[in-house]
Formats: sequence, structure tokens, C-alpha cells
Amino acid sequence: MNLPNFFLADLPPEAVLSPQMITESCHTLKRNREKYLRNRTTDAIVKTLSEAGAEWLQPDGKFRKLALEHGPAETGFSKAILEKGLNGFFRQFTPENFQALLEQEIGGAQRLDKFTGPGTDGGSSRQSIVNGPEFLVHIAAGNLPNPAWMSLTLGLLTRSAQFMKCASGASFLPRLFAHSVYELDHKLGACLELAEWRGGNIDLEGRIFAEADCVTATGGDDALAAIRGELPPKVRFLGYGQRVSFGFVTREVLRDETVSKVVSDAADDVIAWDQNGCLSPHVIYVEERGVVESDKFAELLSVELAKREATEPRGKISVEESAGIASRRDLYAALTAHRGDIKFWSSHESTAWTVVFEHDTRFQFSCLNRFIYVKPVPDVADVLQGVDAVHGKVSTVGIAAPPEKMAELALRFARWGATRICPLGQMQNPPLTWRHDGRPALGDLVTWTDFEIKPQMDAD
Amino acid sequence: MSKELSSFAARLRDRISSPAGAEVPRLIAQERTFSETPHVGCCEDFAALALELFAVQFKHNAAYRKICEARNLTPSNVKQWTQIPAVPTSAFKELELTSLTPEERPAVFHSSGTTEQKPSRHFHNAESLAVYEASLWKWFEAHFGSAGDLIFLTPPPSQAPHSSLIHMFEVVRQRYGLSESAFRGQVAVDGSWALDFAAVIFNLQTAGDSDKPVTLLGTAFSFVHLLDELVEKNLMLQLPPGSRVMETGGYKNRSRALPKTELHALVTARLGVPRENIICEYGMSELSSQAYDLESKSSKIRNAERQFHFPPWARVQIISPETGLEAAEGETGIIRILDLANVFSVAAIQTEDLGIRRGDGFELIGRARRSEPRGCSLMTA
Repeated sequence: MNLPNFFLADLPPEAVLSPQMITESCHTLKRNREKYLRNRTTDAIVKTLSEAGAEWLQPDGKFRKLALEHGPAETGFSKAILEKGLNGFFRQFTPENFQALLEQEIGGAQRLDKFTGPGTDGGSSRQSIVNGPEFLVHIAAGNLPNPAWMSLTLGLLTRSAQFMKCASGASFLPRLFAHSVYELDHKLGACLELAEWRGGNIDLEGRIFAEADCVTATGGDDALAAIRGELPPKVRFLGYGQRVSFGFVTREVLRDETVSKVVSDAADDVIAWDQNGCLSPHVIYVEERGVVESDKFAELLSVELAKREATEPRGKISVEESAGIASRRDLYAALTAHRGDIKFWSSHESTAWTVVFEHDTRFQFSCLNRFIYVKPVPDVADVLQGVDAVHGKVSTVGIAAPPEKMAELALRFARWGATRICPLGQMQNPPLTWRHDGRPALGDLVTWTDFEIKPQMDAD
Repeated sequence: MSKELSSFAARLRDRISSPAGAEVPRLIAQERTFSETPHVGCCEDFAALALELFAVQFKHNAAYRKICEARNLTPSNVKQWTQIPAVPTSAFKELELTSLTPEERPAVFHSSGTTEQKPSRHFHNAESLAVYEASLWKWFEAHFGSAGDLIFLTPPPSQAPHSSLIHMFEVVRQRYGLSESAFRGQVAVDGSWALDFAAVIFNLQTAGDSDKPVTLLGTAFSFVHLLDELVEKNLMLQLPPGSRVMETGGYKNRSRALPKTELHALVTARLGVPRENIICEYGMSELSSQAYDLESKSSKIRNAERQFHFPPWARVQIISPETGLEAAEGETGIIRILDLANVFSVAAIQTEDLGIRRGDGFELIGRARRSEPRGCSLMTA
């Protein structure tokens, strides 16, 4: 692949990063930000981002082509899955959506540019402006690109110099996005740096933490705790820990004329990013006593997953992951022989997909990579009981229900503690305005300055 | 209890215990398939024995029979030992995979691990224990000899009656004629295994002052505990030449986990035991035989790379997780073992460990990812 050596992550694998290189890079980023980014208008940044997004959606877009050509080898995802994933993400990159995001998070697109008035505050004589961190550091985990792409996007909106540390072997797609920004606007690209090393290298990480105003990190709880422990006290830390998601299908939609759409939606969620994200379902709870019964739903899902394997194949996985699936299947094969209430379907001579139907309503961690549990439940109360063990760790609940029931169900799950409720089929497609883990993603990055204006004295 | 199983057990025990029982497998042909590595020794008719045992287990082990029937693999259509249906170790948590009736199970071994809600259960009676003991002793003796000084870094059997490892250590202790004080660990209030550091260090220092070699046996985590203590006390011991270390098992969150090479380097540095005298054992509660990663004393073959070998009455297959077929030599796959000494449970066991076949041995690579579906620590799954 022919990309200029613009970022540290572009260097050949044999290049060794030194702490000195990291510090110098941080200083360059800060200088570039001061020169090229700090005084940009939000409109200009939104325009560039929207152009970048549009470019990524073009069939002959340079970076899209690179992603699809080299992505399967670099990331393990199949071309079809990469294509679907990046379409879903960059489709959101429109001026309207950015406008909506800024409106939601900071009360308007102008708030980053100048003091703006009370707006909806109603008669207050106060104006506010928000400032992003001067130097923003991201510790990105895993090979799912969306969180990394989104982090860089938010950091550009807040006009921050950004250093993204990718997990080893996982910088490819974030790097292509950074290159696409660089190509549209060299100066904007000069405020980004990406590097890749194995997490926990404190000689290198210490250097970026020392320069940072704010650090975001995604990863397991232990990794987050370790990062937090290394940060100087002045640094703001935004940690996004591991989350899980599940689906819920009500009996009303399990009718002969509607079930195929529901099954197709469920399959969309299972195959998106090969089920590797926090937003991917581990379990789909299915209400009993539908016209189409829950075990039939599971069987239909297995047929659908087999079909999808032909057109949108699962990517390559490690032998450890593959063995994890094989071991779990072996167990269910043994249990199926003993218990009539367990059924299971799987791809032949590969671990490409697996559906396990079992009555035990307790939430069950899937092996992922298209291994889905379908669990029948009498109603939503049993779902809430079943997911008790993951309370506080749930991101998304994908629901298939008639429109008139959605609001009531959403409220039940919201009161219980889920932070995102969406239609089944959309679990891996959160909008740009998504509040990551229930927190304002952009709002948490910025600080506000309030300007209280002395009221005019009455004439008398 | 089934006479057929008892008869098989008695015959196998005799063979194992015969002077040639542990005669090391040697290659008798250049041309061979992976699944049929030819061996000679006590079990050159391994395939016939395996098929015979399968037929008897199918008949008398109801839980196993159901699994075989569901897979449509029965004694009438299984013609090669490699086709015998293997049971995953995790099924020992959920099902009673034994031909012993509830009244016939005076002993049970549980899988270790502190985070599991449900351990594996391998049921035993006097006859099955006799096979286990014959098997473990013969292969232990082949690697360590039958006399010397041993220190076990585990609690004694009275404190951990369900540990197959400690049962093995107890059998070895008795055959060596050592006192019960050879066990230097104890079960702490929270159920974890602790070490009597003062006693162990005193033992080691005394050994170091003499020229009598000593063998230390324990789990990887007990060695980490001991080595951490030595570092803490700033002690560098030099055990007499010929001293050995037998290390087994993973960490199971009972200590910080060290890569094997690092652990071995620390053992060498702190105890003065050279790398070639550190022997790893591979075993589990669901099996009745163990593998060691050193050629046995009588071996004619010496390999530069260390590989595990089971005794002649147990064989390993490496299974590709994607295809379920035997993996090629040099390819990583799931370790499957057919252990003839598992007479009263199930002989064919599918582990959750990964290995690579190397010649007639195997290299241990690691574990399957997220292979614990139930009772695992939730957020680490």
C-alpha cells in the first residue's frame, strides 16, 4: 500500500519509537494546532468533515478503495462487512447531522466560535463559549474502527491537537481516515498523530500523558484502571469500558407476514462487524407464544445467517477464538443430547455462525464472531431478571415490537439502566449524536466559559 | 458395576504396571499418518483397546451413550480409535459422565479454579482410583525415578480431597516413603492454597547445605508465591546439583501470571535449578494420565524443543477448531486425548487447550478464548 509516511503509524514495522520522538511529536502537534486549527470556524471544520465523509462513500474514493482492498488482510473483516460498516458510519457525516450534534451537546454550532447568548435560557443575561482541550489523547482499543474514527472527529470539532495510540495491529483504518483528512486539508491533518504500540509501554505513554489535557480510552476495565493510574492529576480522563448489548423481540411481530423482516434485522445486528462491538447483541430474547414460536425464530435466524455467510462472509479469526467457538459448540452438542429444551444450529466445517436456543434466561456472554443465543421468555419482566448480572454494563437494547409498544418497552429498559434503545437491525448503527455509554461524547470533552453581563440599571 | 469395565481396568492396570509398562513409544515406521502414530510398548494394540473400551463405555455410561447416539457414532459404526466421540471437559460440569452409580462413587475430583461456580466432576471408586494410581505412578517414575527427596508446594490431601493433582502427589509421596510433612502448603480460610514459607525456605536452605538433590513439585502459582517471597527476603538459593522442579497448571487468578520462560528463568535464578531440570506436567481432573515435557529417562530420542508426551496408554490428537478434523503437523489446534486409563468415565476427552503436534509429542500453546460459558467472571469473558 502506497501511503506517504505522514504519521508515526505509517513507519515500517521495524521502526522503533523512542520517548524522545513521542515528545517531539506532541510539541509539533501543539504548534500546528496553534497555527492551523485553533482559530478555525466550526463551519469550516464541519465542511471538511462532511467532504471527507462523502469521499469515503464514493465507490472510487481513494481511501475507501484502500480500506476494502487491504482491509480484509489488515483487520480480519471480510470486504462485504467492511463496506457495510464504513457506509453506515460515513453516511452520518452530513452538515445537518453535525449541526444536530453541536446543538445537542453545546447548544449550537457557534458556541465553539464565539460567546453566544442565552438561547433557550429565557431572559438570562449570560453568554457562553466552549473550549476544547488543547491536546487530546486517545487510547484506542481493538480493531473496530468506529470508536477511533468518532474520537478523531470529535477532537477536530473541538479544535484539539490529537494523538491517537492504537492497539498493536489495529491502526490501519484509523490511519486511513487520518490520511483522508490530511489529503483534503494538509493543515488539519498536521494536527493529528497516530501511532501503534502494545499497550502498557509506559516509557512512551508517559510522554503523551505528560502533554495531555484530556485522555479518552476504550478497553477492558483493567486496562482503563491502569491508564487512569498513570495520568497526572490535571488530566481529564474519559474511560469507556466494556459494554454488552442484547436484543428483544415481542410476540406481536412474530407473525408469518412480519417474521422474515425481524429475522433479517436480527441477522444484520449479529453480522455487523462480525458481532465484535460493544453494541453487538450477545443474546436475543424472544417472547413466547407468538404465532411463530421462539424456537422457530431461532431456526429461521440460523437459515438467514447461513445465507449471509454466502454474501457477507465472516472474517478470519484467531485460532484461540475459533477454538473458543468449537469448545462451546461441543458443550452444547453434548447438552442437546440430554436436554430437549436446548437446540443448536451451526455452520458445517467452519465456525462461521452458530445459533444456540436455550430456555435458561440468564444473560449469556457469546463467543462473538457470529455466535448468538436465542432465549425464549414469557415477557419483558423475565428479560430484566435475566440480564440482572450485567446491570450497569449494558449499552444497547435492540427491540423488535409494534410501534405502539416501543415507548413503553423503552421506558422499562431505560429505568433499568440501558443507555441506548434502538430498533433491532440498527444496533451497530448509532447516530452521530449517540451518547456514548449514556454520556455526552462531545460535551464531556469541552469546558465552558460563562460571561455574566451586568444588568442594565433602571433609569430611576 | 459392570464386569466388563472391571475386567478392562484390571487388564490395563497389569499392563501399565508390568516392567515394560512405560517403555517409551518409539517410531517403528517412517511412513505414517498423524492419527495413527505407531507405537510399541505396553499398548501397541492401542487401537483395539480403545475400540473395546469405547464399546463398553457406550454400554455402561448412559450420559456418554446419549452424546454418541446424538452424533450417530456408535460401536457399530466407529471403526478407528480416532472416530471415538470425544466429550468436552466442560460437559463434566453439567453432566454425570460416569458409569458408576451414585452409590459407587466414594471419591470425586473437581476441576480447580476459584472463579468457577460449577466445577468439573470426575467420579471415582476403588477400582478406578487403582487405575489412576497405576497410570500416574508409572509415568511419574519414568521421569523422576522412585526415590529421593520431594517437597510438595500444595496442601496435603486431607485438606483438599477433591484435587486430582494432590491425590497424585500423595500416591507419589507414599511410594517414595516420605512423611506427610512433605506437603508444605495449606488451604487458607478463603479456600485458596497458601504456602508455609518458613518451612519451605528452611527445607530448601537445609537441602542447599547438603549435596542431596531435592525435587520441588507444585502449581505455577505456588512457584510464583514462593519466588516472590524469596525476592522479598532477598534470598538466592542454590539447590544441590540434580535438584529438579515439577511445575503444572495455569494461574487461575491465584497469583500474577508469568510467561513460562520468565517463571523458569526466575526458578533458575532464585533456586539454582537449571532449565533442563525444570519439568512441566500437563494434566487435569478429567483425565487419569499426565504428560510431561521432558523425554523420559529411557528415551533414545532427544529433541531440542521441549514437547509433552503422554504415556503409551494415552494418545493425543490435535483438532482444527474450524473443520473438526485432525490438524496438520505444525498447525495449532485443540488438544484431544484418548486416555485408556479413564476406564469408568469417558476415555476420549476434548480439552479447551491449544497445542501443536511435533513428531510424536505436542507443544502446549495456550487456551481457547472465552471458552467458559457458565460461571465465568462476567466482565472478563
